[in-house]
Amino acid sequence: MPRTTTIECPGCPPLRALTFDVLGLIKVIEAQGTQGGIPKVVERWGEPDSSKCVLAASINDRKIDPLLAVARKGGMIEVCSPINGDVRFTVSNVSDASLRPEDDAVVGLHLFSRQKLELTSRSCTLFTCTTKGNASMRSIEITDSPEGSASVGSSRTWSVCASGNILCTKVDASENYALFGGKGVEVNMWDLENCTKIWAAKSPPKNSLDIFSPTWFTSATFMSKDDHRKIVAGTNNHQVRLYDISAQRRPVISFDFRETPIKAVAEDLDGYTVYIGNGSGDLASVDMRTGKLLGCFLGKCSGSIRSIARHPELPVIASCGLDSYIRIWDIKTRQLLSAVFLKQHLTNVVFDSNFADKEVAPLADPPLNAEQIANENEISDDEETLPVKRKKASKKEEGSKKKKKKKATKENASEVPEENEESEKVALKEKKGSKKLKPKKRSKRSKYEMVDDAP
Amino acid sequence: MGRKRKASESEAEEAFEKEKENEEYRNKQQQQKKNAGEIVPSMIRNKERRSEVHAKLKHQKKVEKRKKIQARDAAEKRALELGEEPQPRSVPRTIENTRELDETVCKPDDEELFAGNDADEFSVVLKREGTAKVLITTARFNSTRGPAFISELLSVIPNAHYYKRGTYDLKKIVEYAKNKDFTSIVVVHTNRREPDALLIMGVPDGPTAHFKLSKLVLRKDIKNHGNPTSHKPELVLTNFTTRLGHRIGRLIQSLFPQDPNFRGRRVVTFHNQRDFIFFRHHRYIFESKESKETNSEGKKAKDAKLAKAPQEKVVARLQECGPRFTLKLISLQHGTFDTKGGEYEWVHKPEMDTSRRRFFL
Repeated sequence: MPRTTTIECPGCPPLRALTFDVLGLIKVIEAQGTQGGIPKVVERWGEPDSSKCVLAASINDRKIDPLLAVARKGGMIEVCSPINGDVRFTVSNVSDASLRPEDDAVVGLHLFSRQKLELTSRSCTLFTCTTKGNASMRSIEITDSPEGSASVGSSRTWSVCASGNILCTKVDASENYALFGGKGVEVNMWDLENCTKIWAAKSPPKNSLDIFSPTWFTSATFMSKDDHRKIVAGTNNHQVRLYDISAQRRPVISFDFRETPIKAVAEDLDGYTVYIGNGSGDLASVDMRTGKLLGCFLGKCSGSIRSIARHPELPVIASCGLDSYIRIWDIKTRQLLSAVFLKQHLTNVVFDSNFADKEVAPLADPPLNAEQIANENEISDDEETLPVKRKKASKKEEGSKKKKKKKATKENASEVPEENEESEKVALKEKKGSKKLKPKKRSKRSKYEMVDDAP
Repeated sequence: MGRKRKASESEAEEAFEKEKENEEYRNKQQQQKKNAGEIVPSMIRNKERRSEVHAKLKHQKKVEKRKKIQARDAAEKRALELGEEPQPRSVPRTIENTRELDETVCKPDDEELFAGNDADEFSVVLKREGTAKVLITTARFNSTRGPAFISELLSVIPNAHYYKRGTYDLKKIVEYAKNKDFTSIVVVHTNRREPDALLIMGVPDGPTAHFKLSKLVLRKDIKNHGNPTSHKPELVLTNFTTRLGHRIGRLIQSLFPQDPNFRGRRVVTFHNQRDFIFFRHHRYIFESKESKETNSEGKKAKDAKLAKAPQEKVVARLQECGPRFTLKLISLQHGTFDTKGGEYEWVHKPEMDTSRRRFFL
C-alpha cells in the first residue's frame, strides 16, 4: 500500500477567527466542540475585488456591541460588526486630494476599546497611519440612519515622519501611546493625548567592518500589556531588537533570526515571550528577557508570514500569510493544531474572543423551549434599545443565545480558575528563575551601555 | 519438522516414523537447493552458470507475461463476442495516481480562483491587453553552452530580447525593464560553463520564480531535429493542478504571446510530472495516409463494404526542434528579485520531503 503521511492535526479548542485577504474578502473560521474541533470556514463576507484589498484590520471584541475596523486599498475604512459582517459605516481616509490612495496606503489601524468619558457610548475612535506618515485620530458618531452614514466628531491629524515610509505601527494596551517604524524611520513613540513624540530610537553603531545597515523596520510591538516602555521590533535584515525607552535609545538586546526579514511580531500575555514570523515562513517564540530562542513552530509552512494573533484567553496563536493557510498553533507544545486553506494571500488575522461562550449554548438548547419564548419577549425589548441594526431573522436566535451565554460563562468560570492557579504557579516558578537571571541581565545591560558610551 | 510424537506408540511405529522423517528431511533439503538455484542466481558463484540461470529465469518471466496478456485478450474478445462487458483492465498503481490528498488543487467551479486570476500580475498579458515582451539576460559569467542555450531560447520565445549582463545589478536591470515596458525577465544562470538555473520574473510587480535547470540538450544534439520557423508557437501546459502550480503555469504562459499562428504548426510544451517541469519544442504535421492494406484477400472482400469509408487515415507526426530541458521549482518570491528583503510565496524546505507522494505543483 502507498505510504501516505497525514499531517497530525489534533484539532483546536472552540475559537473563532477572522481573516482578511488581498481580494478584500473577510472569512470567518470557527472551530466547534470542546476537544479537537476541526476549524472550518463558516462565512465569507464581501465580493472578490482586488481594488478592495485589505491592508489593516483591528477588532474591539468587547462583550456588548463588538466592532471591527477594516482598512481597504482605496483609502476607505469600513467599520462593521464581527458577528454578522454588516457594515455600520465607512470613512474615507483620503486626506490630501493630490495624493493617490495607492501611494499613501494605510499601514496601521486601531479601533479604540476604551471610551472617552465626554463621548457618548454610540461613538468609536479610530487611529490610522499611512505609509507617508500621516497619522490621524478621529472619533466618529454612529447615527441611526439606515445607510450607516457617520459623522466625524473630532479628528486630529499629524505627520509622524518627514521622510521614509512607515511600515509598522502599534498602539499599546492602555491606548495612550503609539509607536511607528519603517523604511528609513527609526522606531519612535508618540503620546496620543498630546500628539507629541516622546522617544525615538538611535540606530546601532557600525559593526566591526564599518558597515552600517540602513534602517528598515518591518514589524514592531509592545512587549507587555501594562508597560509601554518595552518595544520589540523586527528589521528587514532579519534582526529582532528589544528597546527599553526608560533605559537607552539603542537596543537593549538584538539578535538575528534566520535569513529573511522579520515580517510579523506578536507579544504573549505573559509579558516576555514574543512570537516572530519571517519572510520565508518560519515562526518561532523567543524569550525577550534573555533573547533566547524558545523554539520554532514546525509545520510545512512555506509562505511569508504576514500576521500573528494571540488568542486573549486560550493558549493558542494563529498565523497567516502568503501561503494562504491560516495555521493555529499550541503555545506550550508548539504543535500545529490545525491549518485551513483559504485560497487567497492573507494579510491579517484576528481572534474573536467572545466565541467560546456562544458555543456552549446550543448544547443546552432543546429543553429550554418554554423559557425561550419567555426570553424572546424580554429580548425583543432589549433589542429595540440596542443601537445595533440587525437582520430580523437572526434576531431571535441571537437573543436567545445571549441569555444562555451568561449561564455558559458561569460554567466556564468554574472551570477556569484551576487552570489559572496552575499557570500562576508556573509563572511564579518562572519568576524565581528570572530573578536568578537578573544579575546576569544587568551585567549585560551595563555592557551594552559601556559599548554605547565608548564610541 | 513440526511433528509431535505421541508417547503411547509402539517401537515399530517409531522406527517407521523416524525413517519417514529422515526421508522428508532429505527431500526438503534437495528442494531448498533447487529453490535457491532458481530464485537467487546471485548466490551462484560461477559467472557463466549464473548468467545462464539468470537468462533462463528472465525468459520464463517473459513467457509467462505474454501468456497472461494473451489470456486476457482472449477473454476480452470472448466477452465482446458474447456481448458482455469485458473485465475492466486494472490500472497500474503509480506514484502520481496515489498522490497524497491536497486541498489546494484547483477546482473548475471555484469562483474565487477566477477572481484571483483576474486580479493577479499576469492578467494584463493573458487578457491580451498588452503584449508579452521578454528580456533575456545571463549571470555575470557566461560561456560555451550558455550563449548557445540563449540563442535557442530567443528562437523559442517570440518578442524576446537578449541583453548582455555586463556588471549591472539585477535590481538595476529590473528597473530598466520596467521603464522599457518589458513584461518578463528571464535570467539564465551558468555554473562551470553549464546552465544550471533559470530565473523567471514578472515585471513590474510579478513574482519571481527560481528554477533548477537540468538535462539540457541543445538543438544540434537532438537527432533528426527540425528548425523552428518564426511563427508564434502554440503553448501546452499540462498537469499544473494546485494553486501554486496554477500560478507557475500562468507565469510561464505570460512569457508567450496569446495569439498563436496555427499555420506555423509549432508547439511548445511545459509538462509537469512529479514537480518536474519538462520543456519540449516540436513541429507537428497532419498527414493523410492511405490505410495499410495488409489484410488478406479473402478478408478484404468480406470487409469491403464495411471499410470503404475510412480509407484515408490522418496521422500526426512530430519533429522535435529546439532545446530540451527540465525545470524544478526552488522558490517563488513575491515581488521582483530581492534576495535580502524578499517575501516568499513558496520555498522548498527539506521538511517537506517526508513523503514521495506529495507534490506541490
